[in-house]
Amino acid sequence: MPTSASTHRPEDLLTRLRSANADADAKLKALREVKNQIIGNRTKKLSYIKLGAVPAVVSVIAATADDCSSVLVQSAAAIGSFACGFEAGVQAVLRAGAFPHLLRLLSNSNGKVVDAGARSLRMIYQSKLAPKYDFLQEKNMEFLLSLLNSENENVTGLGASIITHSCETSAEQNALCDAGVLKKLIGLLQGSLSQRDASLESIATVIKSNPEVVSKFVGPENGRALSAVTELTKDRYPRTRLLACMCLIVVRNTSPGCLQDLAIRTKLILILLELLDDPGQVGDEASFALSSLIAEKEDLQKLAFEGNAIDKLCNHLQKGSLQAKRFQGILLALADLCSKLENCRSRFLALQVMNSVIDALTHDSGEVRAAACICLRSVSRSVKNLSAGNFMNETVVIPLVQLLSDTSTSVQVAALGAISNIVVDFTTRKSIFMQCGGVKQLVQLSKSMDPTIRLNSVWGLRNLMFLADNRCKEGIFLELTASLLASLICDPEPSVQVQALGLVCNLVDGCINSVEYVFVEDSIILQAVGKQLQSTLKAEVGIQGMYVLSNVATGNEFHKEAVMHQLFPQAGNSTQPIIIKFLQSNDSRLRTAAVWTVLNLTFPGSLGAYGRFVKLCSAGILSQIKNMANDPCLDVKLRVRTVLGQSLTFDIIHPFLRRPATTWYNPLISVFPFRAVVWLARQMGTDDQVQKSRTMMQPTFLFLVF
Amino acid sequence: MPVRVVENSAPSQVSGANLGHTSPPACTLLSVGQAFSGTQNVSSVQKDEAWRVNVRIQGCDLDHGYLCGTMEALNVPMADTPVVTFWEGEIVDAKNYTFFTGKWEASPEDDIRHWTKFPSFSPLVGQVEADGGKSLDLSNYQYIFMRWKEQYFVNVGTDCGLTIAGFYYVCFSCNDGSINGFYYDPNSSPFQKLELKSTNEGRSGFSFSSYELQ
Repeated sequence: MPTSASTHRPEDLLTRLRSANADADAKLKALREVKNQIIGNRTKKLSYIKLGAVPAVVSVIAATADDCSSVLVQSAAAIGSFACGFEAGVQAVLRAGAFPHLLRLLSNSNGKVVDAGARSLRMIYQSKLAPKYDFLQEKNMEFLLSLLNSENENVTGLGASIITHSCETSAEQNALCDAGVLKKLIGLLQGSLSQRDASLESIATVIKSNPEVVSKFVGPENGRALSAVTELTKDRYPRTRLLACMCLIVVRNTSPGCLQDLAIRTKLILILLELLDDPGQVGDEASFALSSLIAEKEDLQKLAFEGNAIDKLCNHLQKGSLQAKRFQGILLALADLCSKLENCRSRFLALQVMNSVIDALTHDSGEVRAAACICLRSVSRSVKNLSAGNFMNETVVIPLVQLLSDTSTSVQVAALGAISNIVVDFTTRKSIFMQCGGVKQLVQLSKSMDPTIRLNSVWGLRNLMFLADNRCKEGIFLELTASLLASLICDPEPSVQVQALGLVCNLVDGCINSVEYVFVEDSIILQAVGKQLQSTLKAEVGIQGMYVLSNVATGNEFHKEAVMHQLFPQAGNSTQPIIIKFLQSNDSRLRTAAVWTVLNLTFPGSLGAYGRFVKLCSAGILSQIKNMANDPCLDVKLRVRTVLGQSLTFDIIHPFLRRPATTWYNPLISVFPFRAVVWLARQMGTDDQVQKSRTMMQPTFLFLVF
Repeated sequence: MPVRVVENSAPSQVSGANLGHTSPPACTLLSVGQAFSGTQNVSSVQKDEAWRVNVRIQGCDLDHGYLCGTMEALNVPMADTPVVTFWEGEIVDAKNYTFFTGKWEASPEDDIRHWTKFPSFSPLVGQVEADGGKSLDLSNYQYIFMRWKEQYFVNVGTDCGLTIAGFYYVCFSCNDGSINGFYYDPNSSPFQKLELKSTNEGRSGFSFSSYELQ
């Protein structure tokens, strides 16, 4: 005869749990029923949570005597089920105060009760919401060791889970190591499957980024522990293999000196690639583990490439209908693989998976969208493909530009990263990006309160401005405006200042008329550049700022004089000009930029060159440059020689730098027009001086010719 | 007081510990965005001919000994428009690349025959003959030696009647930004000379632009 459906209704079950009159047997049945209904069913879990089932179960466990083992076991199991893989469940369990009651079960005399309590607590410790365990309290450390010393594998597993969840600082890692926990965990590698897995995870947590602990793990007993973990990479269980690989990756990433053996590194890559085929969680996590192994390491990326990693990852992409986590992991692994090596990028592009990546840009999951952008960012580091205009097309650009208004900041930043590379485009297709509304969006984001967004959007604009044609420059400038550009140059973040200055450098490069951009609105941009140069403490800002001045100094007399004004803002001020500090910098790039500025200011053929030369001499700048004739940086030394070679032409009328002409002759300057020297002398004074200059000029001139 | 400029006329040899770990000097005149113009002599037995050539540097990665850019040939007889090609360069740095090409149908003898055409190569020839120049420290040498290999046509099809089968032996002067090169293709006229000068595009000085990949 069928039983009445009403007895299984959630409301009825909860009534029975809450009833003070219900006997233990009735409660036991109700607990079992609740547990069975919610196992593996998130919807059911949520509906029971909404009905208040968790506090009801916790009140049963709280009110049950220690000897009523069946009810305790079922209550603990039900609580564990609510918490298993479900954050809302963990939250409800913790809010209902289940934690101390579950801990109480661990000291129960009945092994089954202890087991159920430990299982349930492990479920909770798999969540980020679980309370942090304070290892630095002696009592807690003792308790943890007691868990790890238990005969019950769920209890030792709980100990390991607590470590994996709570150990974060190096002080905690050291304390665990000193208390013998690491040794205990190594011992557990010989235990059951569950103990091995839990131990591998915990060991990785205890040694991560702590070379001192790694040496204690790797060193003793001729690396017995390391050998044991290495052996587990061949285990028959995929999860164990994955965890063993992850443990070795932590060792390698923490102490690069370890695992130098090429065979082990190659093996790690091959195992992880094989684990990608696992249809479950192991397959999902394998790509993340591969990423952590190869990220920023060109040698390992090369090994992975040789192991056919690009093809294998792309095969998974081509299969389609991937779960979000797996999709994200594969895209990120491809991004790491293509981050440094051109042959990886070429292979990736040859495999025709760009469509899958472009599809991922509009995926429901923000994490997948961001991963797709990061993948595109890596692949678009290929100058060869940028030059061919392979990324600057509407299929790629439109979804990327749309992501600039994504609700997630991390997606926006990732999209900006990809865009920054793609807009470098050396063809005449920059207009495609503008037609898609990209410039408008970048300019809008450059006003963001978030410094990362601001930095990346200005970065994108700077790269877009690189070798842009006049129309493109005009379009960007109209959208950006001189005042916004000036404020970005003076941004509180030095990294934004650097990109804004780089943008201005590109703006004034190219067609000579472009120099005029920095003079609009009362030279607001040039003033901002000068102001930053006077106040900055960052070499990068100085370098970019000096290149702006250097580029402007390639213009006409007015432009060059405006640069002089920025270098000497206060006439008659006795303070040392900032350019001297730059010329004396330890950073050769800054010295180079500063010398280029002087070189352009005194470039032969410009009418005011002599006046500027005199001023630079008077300010001690030419003396400083003379002192740099043997600069350790070849680039600086050669530019210094050019400047000194240029100064030869003024030497005859300004005795300041008189010296043998042979010393600084440099072919970069062609023969300085003799007539110009005479003209300069004429600017200086009387006809007598002109005559004198003619006479004095002869040997120098002749030498320059030959 | 005048200061004597110390001339580094010849590169030194690196010590054993640093063997193969020197880079050529970073030179602003060989940075991205820089443009060069000049000619390539394509004369044959039949007639004297030179094409005007423009070059633009698009990418530079000294760590990997990599340089790339475009080359535009202006008055090519069989083409209606200027022909633009994309090339990739191998910088001879004794770390990533040596003076010996080892590919593109170039034997060590071909290599030496071409490199010795550059006067700035003469101080190196002995060492290069001995070990391909692996033990040379070129990090402070005023000349950068490269091979430029055209990879594809940018604006015309492969059926344009032109070939990019060969490659250039290139010598760049950090001093004045001049570039000399010799085209090598066993099937083309030997020693076609490429001569380029750094251009400042109508400016009174040298201007720079840059991008930064993320």
